[in-house]
Amino acid sequence: MHEFDFLEPATLAEASRMADDLGDGVRFIAGGTALVLTLRQRMVRPSHLISLGRIDSLRGIDVGPDGGLRIGALTRHAEIAGHAHVRAHWPMLAGMAARLANPQVRNQGTIGGNLCYADPATDPPACLLALGARVVLASHRGTRELALEDFLVDYYETALGQDELLQEIRLPALPPGARGVYARFLRTAAEHRPLATVATVVQVEGDVCTRARIAVGAAVPVAQRLPSAEAELAGFAITRERIEHCAANAAATLSPLDDARGSADYRQAMVRVQLLRSLGDAFGLERT
Amino acid sequence: MGMHTLDLTVNGETVSTSVPARRLLADFLREDLHLTGTKRGCETGICGACTVLVDGQPLKSCLSLAVMASGCEVRTVEGLREGETLQRLQESFVRCAGLQCGYCTPGMLMSACALLEANPQPTADEVRAALGGNLCRCTGYTQIVESVLDAAGRRDGD
Repeated sequence: MHEFDFLEPATLAEASRMADDLGDGVRFIAGGTALVLTLRQRMVRPSHLISLGRIDSLRGIDVGPDGGLRIGALTRHAEIAGHAHVRAHWPMLAGMAARLANPQVRNQGTIGGNLCYADPATDPPACLLALGARVVLASHRGTRELALEDFLVDYYETALGQDELLQEIRLPALPPGARGVYARFLRTAAEHRPLATVATVVQVEGDVCTRARIAVGAAVPVAQRLPSAEAELAGFAITRERIEHCAANAAATLSPLDDARGSADYRQAMVRVQLLRSLGDAFGLERT
Repeated sequence: MGMHTLDLTVNGETVSTSVPARRLLADFLREDLHLTGTKRGCETGICGACTVLVDGQPLKSCLSLAVMASGCEVRTVEGLREGETLQRLQESFVRCAGLQCGYCTPGMLMSACALLEANPQPTADEVRAALGGNLCRCTGYTQIVESVLDAAGRRDGD
């Protein structure tokens, strides 16, 4: 591994100023599960790593007065999976975090590091998009809040400026009666990286869907909402025919990744299947 | 590039030293402390042979910088003399033939140790989930799962 220096600021402002002063050779490091691998493979050669480990304001999960959730960027996946309030009130999120990667990575990797690295083959982005997540970015110049859609720009690319850090993730309270389903497809049970993920949050009155937020990840370069699928569901009575049509149509609109882990056609087919099963589960339809 | 001070405990003993920032925790344990029980397998974070416990939680020491473990309590397979759980596991792995070549075994023991400390009576599915980040290319896993259940005193696995 290339040589680098290791800095441990105690505050966000200090970390941001270090990045400003040191320029392009700087990388922030949180849990390190992704970055250490890229360092070892010499894909990045930073002059300095700025560790976020001593910045306590980045830690913790808080429940807001309106029932929304604030998740500090340095929160480890295992903490989300094991958090009593999250398990009780956000089972879709807790369940996603409990299945991500493998136990060791869940103990070390952080939700903020995951989003900032912007690797498409991972679980949180689609799940958080469907939950309506917003992110707070901080620098020594101040903070700004973005919808997660606007933070996730492209394949391994985010909206973060050179001296900006992800401070926290904010989830609005789920509307009463909202049902969430998170589904992931792995090529084999031993794989730790999903080939396609689908996250669905719907509200239903009688047999009519009143609201739907659906997102797809891992199969595409950057996790994205599926507006065509949402439009095909919201305001309509839900039948098996409707969700089959919706799943097929939505999968057909995608431009999936096409690489050694899975062809575009395969990923597209797996998105359709995951979507169909998720919608069936969310609306309580029997599987055929 | 400068050296970084590193204060931690390893298997209950205090260690104060300095390391370059790029030193991996796996290399620090093996080459600086000569604790070669921790194995380097795939070196890409997949196989889990390098699993150690940091503050009681299993993680992959090939994906961790040694400096990141400063202030932490690290346990490796060599610490098995100190802990009752690991000793029981070791005996069960022998009794149930939970290893063949043995290269993955230290990592398996550490993941299993963390499981049994948190959940002394796991089901077979819970054992499989806890070992999900540890690969074995010899045994087919059946005897490893049996070994962990045996150490928990429940061979039936229900």
